[in-house]
Amino acid sequence: MNASGICGETMKKIALNGLLISLALVLSYIENLFPASLIIPIPGVRLGLANIVTMFALFYLGFVSALTVSVLRCLLSALLFGGLSPMLFSLSGALLALFAMQALKYGYNRQFSLLGVSIGGAAAHNTGQILMASLMMRNTALFAYLPVLLFAGIAMGFITAAAAQGIFYLVDKTQVVKHLG
Amino acid sequence: MRLKPKPGDFFIILVIAAAAVIMLISMRQADTGEKTALIIHDGIVVKKIRLDTLDHTEIFEYSGKYPGVIEAENGRIRFREAACPDQVCVHTGWISKNGQIAVCLPEGVLIKITGGGSAGDDTDILIR
Repeated sequence: MNASGICGETMKKIALNGLLISLALVLSYIENLFPASLIIPIPGVRLGLANIVTMFALFYLGFVSALTVSVLRCLLSALLFGGLSPMLFSLSGALLALFAMQALKYGYNRQFSLLGVSIGGAAAHNTGQILMASLMMRNTALFAYLPVLLFAGIAMGFITAAAAQGIFYLVDKTQVVKHLG
Repeated sequence: MRLKPKPGDFFIILVIAAAAVIMLISMRQADTGEKTALIIHDGIVVKKIRLDTLDHTEIFEYSGKYPGVIEAENGRIRFREAACPDQVCVHTGWISKNGQIAVCLPEGVLIKITGGGSAGDDTDILIR
């Protein structure tokens, strides 16, 4: 009977997912408290701290887990602080970023490091947000912001990649989380 | 523990930067002559203000869930105040060049400066 073993693994994964969702939620709350758009007045400019959590989930627990964490983070964030339209923004950005990072993950450790994954994800995030904003405003003029957002995304991608690299290193070294995905 | 970039990373950065530069160049508009600000609310052009010949301060108030005040004077326009939570529109400040935009996403209000009077009116959906 090794059913309990499988059950243990599953439980561990569920618990870890829960932890990651709350971590992502706190990080996006902190970002809302100190939005980068105060410095660069363009809607949607943010550091993307929650993306560190998404990357962790994607690389250690797999795509389904990363999808769960992203979607639930956006839903809970909308319930707690925002409304429908901020949720549509964060959701469209987060989903596009996740798909881009999943695609880039195939070349991870060969063609790309975390830097490429993170910057690619940031660019996809910005594009997703502008697309959703254009749909909501029923006007394409918002694409005027995209070039600036893309440049900002390269810079922010550097920061989140460096943070994620540090976290991945510590996780691997201490073996806190075994590869479950 | 430090980042060890791979060649593909620089390729991604290059592609994104190139895309941004191409977009910037293709969206650049001549900044001379006639200058008209379009105020678009929920996809509808609610007001057109000719900025280059404006000789007084014009105030436009919009209502909705997050009402606000738009202020225009010679050659420039801005969101003066707004009731939206993020205040990104007010922080944007004055805009004055052709092709520039200011936007209040929560309320769905967009200010856009275009060169030609009606030629720049590229709203594709009009719902009444």
